[in-house]
Amino acid sequence: MVLALLALSPFLWLLLMSFKTNAEIFRFPPRLFFEATMANYGALWTSEFRNSFANSLIVSVVSTLLSLAIGVPAAYALSRWTSRGSGTITLWILASRMAPPIAFTIPYFLVYRHLELLDTLTGLIIIYLTFNLSLVIWMMRPFYDQLPRSLEEAAWIDGATLWQGFTRIILPLSGPGLAATAILCFLFAWNDFFFALILTRTEAMTAPVAVVNFMNYEGWEWGRIAAGGTMIMLPVLIFSFVVRRYLVHGLTGGALKG
Amino acid sequence: MRGPNRRAILRSAGGASVLASGLLAAPPILAQTKSAFAGTTINASCFQTTYFEYLKAYLPEFEQKTGIKVNFTMQAFPVYNQRTDLELSTRGSALDVCNVTFIYSGRWIGAGWLTSLDSFTKDPKLTPADWAPEDFAGGPQSAMQNAKGETFGFTWEAGAMILAAARYDLIEKQGLGLPRTFDELIKVCDAVHNKDNVAAFTADKLHHWNWIPYLMGVGGNVFKAPPENLTPTLDTPEAAQSAEWYANLLTKYGPDGILSYSDDQSMRSQMSGRANIRTQAITWMVPLAKHAESTVQKTVRYGLMPEGPKGNFPGSNSHGLGIPAGSRKKEAAWEFIKWALSKETVSMIVKNHGYPSVCRLSVINGPEFKQVLTLNGQDVASLFLEVLQLGGKTGYMKYRTVPVYPQVGDKINKAMERVATRQQAAPAAFKQAQTEALQDLQKAGIKVDL
Repeated sequence: MVLALLALSPFLWLLLMSFKTNAEIFRFPPRLFFEATMANYGALWTSEFRNSFANSLIVSVVSTLLSLAIGVPAAYALSRWTSRGSGTITLWILASRMAPPIAFTIPYFLVYRHLELLDTLTGLIIIYLTFNLSLVIWMMRPFYDQLPRSLEEAAWIDGATLWQGFTRIILPLSGPGLAATAILCFLFAWNDFFFALILTRTEAMTAPVAVVNFMNYEGWEWGRIAAGGTMIMLPVLIFSFVVRRYLVHGLTGGALKG
Repeated sequence: MRGPNRRAILRSAGGASVLASGLLAAPPILAQTKSAFAGTTINASCFQTTYFEYLKAYLPEFEQKTGIKVNFTMQAFPVYNQRTDLELSTRGSALDVCNVTFIYSGRWIGAGWLTSLDSFTKDPKLTPADWAPEDFAGGPQSAMQNAKGETFGFTWEAGAMILAAARYDLIEKQGLGLPRTFDELIKVCDAVHNKDNVAAFTADKLHHWNWIPYLMGVGGNVFKAPPENLTPTLDTPEAAQSAEWYANLLTKYGPDGILSYSDDQSMRSQMSGRANIRTQAITWMVPLAKHAESTVQKTVRYGLMPEGPKGNFPGSNSHGLGIPAGSRKKEAAWEFIKWALSKETVSMIVKNHGYPSVCRLSVINGPEFKQVLTLNGQDVASLFLEVLQLGGKTGYMKYRTVPVYPQVGDKINKAMERVATRQQAAPAAFKQAQTEALQDLQKAGIKVDL
């Protein structure tokens, strides 16, 4: 309980701040009981943050779905492919994760400018897709490795096609892995600041960048920063809560071979 | 041969009268400007600041006058700098007008990423004489020029470092006045620290801005002779002695957590009455007297930055508007800059919104600016002008506009943190900073004396 409180204390502090006025935030010593205000949340709703929040939701959900749609069949194929090239290909898929993101910045920026993808949701979705694909393949492949081939073979004998065997037998069995992978993909896209900072301007700006915009040159809007931070945490908390049953099993499932 | 018939004569006479009435209705220059730029869209960008927040409200007026549509975007200070640095370095054409940030001005101008504005100001067709480029204060404007004296930006903001005592009443109670020297500063801090639960001094963690005036006051400097000779001079006895003194000022007289304060937190510590004295640019000092949330509106007093044994070197900086080299709409961009920084516009922003850090001398010397900056009966406008003139006279702020200053400044910040947290003694910390700064300079290909 104490540990949980300790771990949650930064979030609770942020949450409390989001309901305070600036004067209350800087009151010393701080008060635990104060007159709460919704003004900071109201200000978010009327500012550009609203659009940025929607942008974050769109790019995170779409890039996660696309990563899963492409990555999961790829992981299955690589798992079942017995050729020597399978290992090499799997390794190369990790290439996008082998260098720090900053190493890709200038090339991405120049290519995006040329393709007119700067400040577009499509541009961000493509970036997150490229980074998340390797994560999906590397997380899902061990799942499929541990599923006995006899399950699919039984389905094939019963007349199922390869695709039917995958979608009706294998995919339902990898639910926990899918949930864990999906949440990690979503988190990567949702929390990304760096690529959103470099590759967007105003139209496709995401919520983490929008929060930084409350740091004005002549003064920071602490209440709005706290309210924005809380709003950014909210979908992740809800999503994690919904899939928590699968999460632990999913994260550890592929680690053991039985 | 048939002469013109009656209908043709009437038609041409009617057309001529319509044309004549149109010309009479609009001033000739305006009509010419509007037709030349009608339908043009320019992209302008700056970091979030009140000057442009105020200016945005008047943009429709400019758009109507010139026919130029302005997409004006503002981002947080670090976000803007990061994005613009990348945009300029890749010679992009996404921006037509950009803010020339003080700490990046040397880098952006030196690398040829901005357009020289001399060709615009020297052409009477493009710039009327009464726009008066010489009306911009020399100190701030020097950051917008290269070594040859060419101008790449015109300043909209001048930051002039002054001293503000949020709780001057506590100082008065001790029979003291505003400190004018470093020794007096310590004396005042000793006398008022923790009186009425108020820390005597406050500052933010940007030591490479806050500490340097104190370093220069005892005869030290960051570089040997900037901008010509950029050999760092951080391992000198003056630097070590001054760093020790400044770290002591922060830790002995500052509020808890001072070493992690952002500029806003530092300002808030004064506004909430938790801390008393601060030396910082005027932009962060005026809210103490004017901000609705300030609890020290009646007790704040302002003075010049204290003087060291070797003189007074209050920091001054400036931000300007420039045109990226990659812009494809430079003339339209210049129209915007001309309007945004005209005497009339600057004067209007001061008059209607009380903006305190403008750069046009005619406005600074005007009655409205004086009125705006008369705070608690004090003539702060004169302090502001005095600091700007000090900075312009000897050019001691040149150290800050050299292209490598962001990297060297980072080393100074870290060294000061090590001294203030007693991780290292000042001589060792700044010797390390010197070594690291030298490595950065050599990596950047800058010639240094070894």
